[in-house]
Amino acid sequence: MEQAQTVEDRVRDFVLRQFPLARKSGVRLEDKWLETGLLDSLGILDLVHFLEAEFSIHVSDEELSPENFESLAAVVSFVDTKQSASIS
Amino acid sequence: MNFLIWHLLRDSVRRVPEKEALVHGERRLTYRDVAAQAAGLATSLRTFGVKRGERVGIYLEASVPQVISIFGVSQSEGVYVPINALLHPEQVMHIARDCGMKALITTPAKLQVLVDVLPQIPSLEFLIVTGAGALPDLRLPVHQFDDSCAAQSPAVWKESSIEKDLAAILYTSGSTGKPKGVMLSHANVVAGSRIVSTYLGITETERILAVLPFSFDAGMNQLMTAFEKGGTLVLINFMFAREIVQVLLKERITGLAGVPTLWSLITQPNSTLSKQPMANLRYITNTGGAMPQAVLKVLRELLPTTKIFLMYGLTEAFRSTYLPPEELDRRPSSMGKAIPDTEILVLNDKGEICKPGEAGELVHRGPTVSLGYWNRPEDTARALRPNPLLPPELGDCERVCYSGDLVKTDEDGFLYFIGRRDTMIKSSGFRISPTEVEEVLFQTGKLRSAAVIGVPDDVLGQVVKAFVIARDGDPLDTEALLAACAEKMPRYMVPKFIEVLAEMPKTSSGKVDYPALRRREGL
Repeated sequence: MEQAQTVEDRVRDFVLRQFPLARKSGVRLEDKWLETGLLDSLGILDLVHFLEAEFSIHVSDEELSPENFESLAAVVSFVDTKQSASIS
Repeated sequence: MNFLIWHLLRDSVRRVPEKEALVHGERRLTYRDVAAQAAGLATSLRTFGVKRGERVGIYLEASVPQVISIFGVSQSEGVYVPINALLHPEQVMHIARDCGMKALITTPAKLQVLVDVLPQIPSLEFLIVTGAGALPDLRLPVHQFDDSCAAQSPAVWKESSIEKDLAAILYTSGSTGKPKGVMLSHANVVAGSRIVSTYLGITETERILAVLPFSFDAGMNQLMTAFEKGGTLVLINFMFAREIVQVLLKERITGLAGVPTLWSLITQPNSTLSKQPMANLRYITNTGGAMPQAVLKVLRELLPTTKIFLMYGLTEAFRSTYLPPEELDRRPSSMGKAIPDTEILVLNDKGEICKPGEAGELVHRGPTVSLGYWNRPEDTARALRPNPLLPPELGDCERVCYSGDLVKTDEDGFLYFIGRRDTMIKSSGFRISPTEVEEVLFQTGKLRSAAVIGVPDDVLGQVVKAFVIARDGDPLDTEALLAACAEKMPRYMVPKFIEVLAEMPKTSSGKVDYPALRRREGL
């Protein structure tokens, strides 16, 4: 069931689907996308569009920082924070 | 007298030794610093055995060592070969083998990735690595970059090169085959710098942000103009376009060059650009594809005091045309006119000058016409030909560059881009050869036929679309095909779309009918 998937699973699925190189190397939580060459700056933007649509969040310009997007772990934590903020 | 590339640096050191030359993050180097390190590197390269005209690869991200390497190799009288950091090991190997690379300057992390291909580069004699990190087990000598730059250079520097000598090789794709090395002489690069710094009005006070890689002619040209004039070049590695805007403000950037993709990104509706005035930004330049009119309009609103130069160039002739900012209102879709000391001819198939409105091939003459393609005399003869308009008494004393781009002029002589003569694809400023992508598709062993074209994309200009036919009519896993491509090629080359066909359209001579494929896409 779609909703039973965690944020981490959903983001990882997207990355695996969208960036075939990830299928070979795998996507580990702490790997930095840019350093491993998995995503480039255009790829990161695709990821931002996906997050906005998939999790019904709005990513503001100020939030587009490397700290929020440098790795799967960073993205998961960012989405969690955004979602809990919109509930409260 | 300044006639070699590194003389631009030498001259600026004499004039403004303590001026800030290069900035990257927290690192700030004066002209004296850069020149001392480049001279040390040049000395070491000679000690390690690099001789005049030998090729040294530079496979680095935007960084201080990257800039020092360009000038150090130039001063050693070697030929520098900048390699885009996005390229994969297969492409790096192709470049290194093709140009008979003697030495490679790179990082420990990149060496880890290259370890399997290095033994297949027979000409490679040694490596220089920048920064710390574990090194793979290699059979080649490895020198440390910082140690190499610290070498004491002789009091009197001896050199015998002249401006006609080969200075750099820039690898770029055409419509067929693997990337070819465009050979630039010292005279080409120095002339390009002199010409562009003149029409952009670059001075010592300029602070230029280098976003384009130095493996692009326009990126390298930015570096040269900054160093020729004694300005400051700021380097950046970025994840988001907004980081570019932040550096524009923080470093009080006065000049920025970009490709259409970059402008699309920094003009997104909620961009920082719309919230902060860019008072210092004196000019921006666009190259590597036409800027979308909608993006141009937004940029003009957001940057009311910034001059916008639309430029056009091809690696084979380094830089070609620009549209003066005062013409933007009248002819926003024009590529402008020839750069100074350059003539652009629009020739029809008979070799005659086209009338206004008549489509013809852009032919470039001037001091930036390159020396041709490395070790490819036939391709060179096709791109660089004797000037057809010279009186016969002059013989074929001059080579002009046939661009392969179809253009037309208006009544005032301003140029407009129409399209390519051939099938080359251009995405996000990168030139992509359809056959190179097709070859990788074939290597999967799953296909009977594959044909690749470019289809329009709002942000990237074009993206790659592949038409494929399965071998033996097997069902095709297109995801697996794309995955195989992504392992072998940088992302900009990987097809964005794959369509499985039952039959490939063919011409009467049995070749793939590319125009028919484009018509399928409504192009």
